[in-house]
Amino acid sequence: MIPAHIYNDGDLFALEKERLFGRAWTFVAHESEIPQDGDYVVRRVLDDSFIVARDSNGQVRAMFNMCLHRGMQVCRAEMGNASNFRCPYHGWSYRNDGRLTGLPFHKDAYGGDDGFLKTGQTLLPAPNLASYNGLLFINLDPNAEPLEDFLGDFRFYLDFYTKQSAAGLQVRGPQRWRIKANWKIGAENFAGDMYHTPHTHASIVDIGLFREPKAQKRKDGATYWAHRGGGTTYKLPPGGFEERMRYVGYPDDMISRIKGVWTPRQQQMVAEDGFMISAATCFPNLSFVHNWPKLPGSEQVLPFISIRLWQPISENETEVCSWFAVDSAAPEDFKNDSYKAYLMCFGSTGMFEQDDVENWVSLTTTAGGSMARRLLLNSRMGLLSDDRPVVEALGAEAFHGPGRAQVGYNEYNQREWLKLWAGAVSA
Amino acid sequence: MRKPLPFNDIRHLQAHQFLVDEAYLLDGQHYEAWLDTLTEDIRYVMPVRVTTARGAGFDTSPGMAHFDEDKYSLSQRVARFATEHAWTEDPPSRLRHFITNVRTFACDDETQLIVESAELLFRSRGDVNESALVSCGREDLLRRCDDRWKLARRTIIADESVLRMQNLAVFL
Repeated sequence: MIPAHIYNDGDLFALEKERLFGRAWTFVAHESEIPQDGDYVVRRVLDDSFIVARDSNGQVRAMFNMCLHRGMQVCRAEMGNASNFRCPYHGWSYRNDGRLTGLPFHKDAYGGDDGFLKTGQTLLPAPNLASYNGLLFINLDPNAEPLEDFLGDFRFYLDFYTKQSAAGLQVRGPQRWRIKANWKIGAENFAGDMYHTPHTHASIVDIGLFREPKAQKRKDGATYWAHRGGGTTYKLPPGGFEERMRYVGYPDDMISRIKGVWTPRQQQMVAEDGFMISAATCFPNLSFVHNWPKLPGSEQVLPFISIRLWQPISENETEVCSWFAVDSAAPEDFKNDSYKAYLMCFGSTGMFEQDDVENWVSLTTTAGGSMARRLLLNSRMGLLSDDRPVVEALGAEAFHGPGRAQVGYNEYNQREWLKLWAGAVSA
Repeated sequence: MRKPLPFNDIRHLQAHQFLVDEAYLLDGQHYEAWLDTLTEDIRYVMPVRVTTARGAGFDTSPGMAHFDEDKYSLSQRVARFATEHAWTEDPPSRLRHFITNVRTFACDDETQLIVESAELLFRSRGDVNESALVSCGREDLLRRCDDRWKLARRTIIADESVLRMQNLAVFL
């Protein structure tokens, strides 16, 4: 059972900042956003601004966006290409690898290197920066476990979204907008809430945007949880790997590239188990969507992928950052159609998204009152009163992915996510 | 600088009236009637604005928009509002589209006009929720279809990089 006030509680938010986001690997950008030497984007981890740049030698770096002298932000744009960042306050300037190179009146003001040794001074690097399939993560804890260990077995599922060829992913965006909702709600929803689809998103089915006639199909899918992440799937009609990939709209040349990079077990999850990934969340606040709406005026569907960050602003406000993602080796037509499909479904104008956020804002507002402190929300879906499962977990022969998976409506993933959250904020 | 039509030019008056009439349709969420004011080849785009250094040469996110619509996708959005399950607009928002700073430009093709306008959308939901604003500029292409003007192109330039509205279940 979940105390309702956790979705709008200032004291808890302070703990989340310090204990959770102070130690977790947090997504900031995808490498394809900074393809050229000198490209940069500016991203935040909670209140801390970082310049994420590809320096002139091609190395990706994350530098704390604060001048060593008086603390001014040295970069106030959110993206661009630069060889240097010059602080607007007193003109200290830094190379795009962070090295301090320019210091006006160095001799007059400091007596040169005698008073202030310029050599070796750099913008503060992020305590930890690492990437997986081009996804760049920052960790504010210098002693953090390696990213690969943090992600653990969830990497198996991350690959479905972020590795569809040797060329890797390219992203567009993000769209950014602020919602008056607690950041945890979206993260939990994307992690495992198949139960909300038939009701919340009934209008999408009504207008025939999806080929599957009934949103009830959702319950035939499986949810899975593996280490730091989990997600939802749809059950596919009978067929082999190619047939099932075609069913969700992948053209043959993409399928053959996918076969070249997915492991046999990853392919078995589609070919033998018949499950296709849909929404997912990687703890704490990174989510993914893969869906396949109909193309205009046809029964043909086309898949799209979206990456999204639930950037906490306060206990009752979240900045949503939503990227469109596509395999960079995909045909141009596919990229364009997939982008259109994304815009219709998700993001700031997405028709799925619109109804979700309405619910989450309302929930957050209500969770801020005193009655919410007396209410324990029921989060036991999928469990009988003696804690036996309503539906048994899938065996290894029926589900080739790591972790625990089961078919049908349940809240295993939300409970797993909340366990990680509770562990992080309480110690 | 191109020169706008004088404000007493009949073409400007017609374009201005088009925008004001449209604002009333959008305020009232009369979306079927609004769709009828769009040409079949309508292109309706709202790029994502980004903060870039002066001289960077761009201020929109490469390849990314909030809206990038054609008649099909706009019709689907309208059809969704007409279902009984479009929760985000049930209860409906109270909307006010303020349109101002209208300038009209003649085109070589006399059946077309370019119209610029500034727009402020006020949106209120529920009783005590904070209201939300979107400020933007628009550049439209109107095309003469039989006896009336229709909207053939719209580019919406948002004035914010990060939108302060929970979604864009509205039209601008």
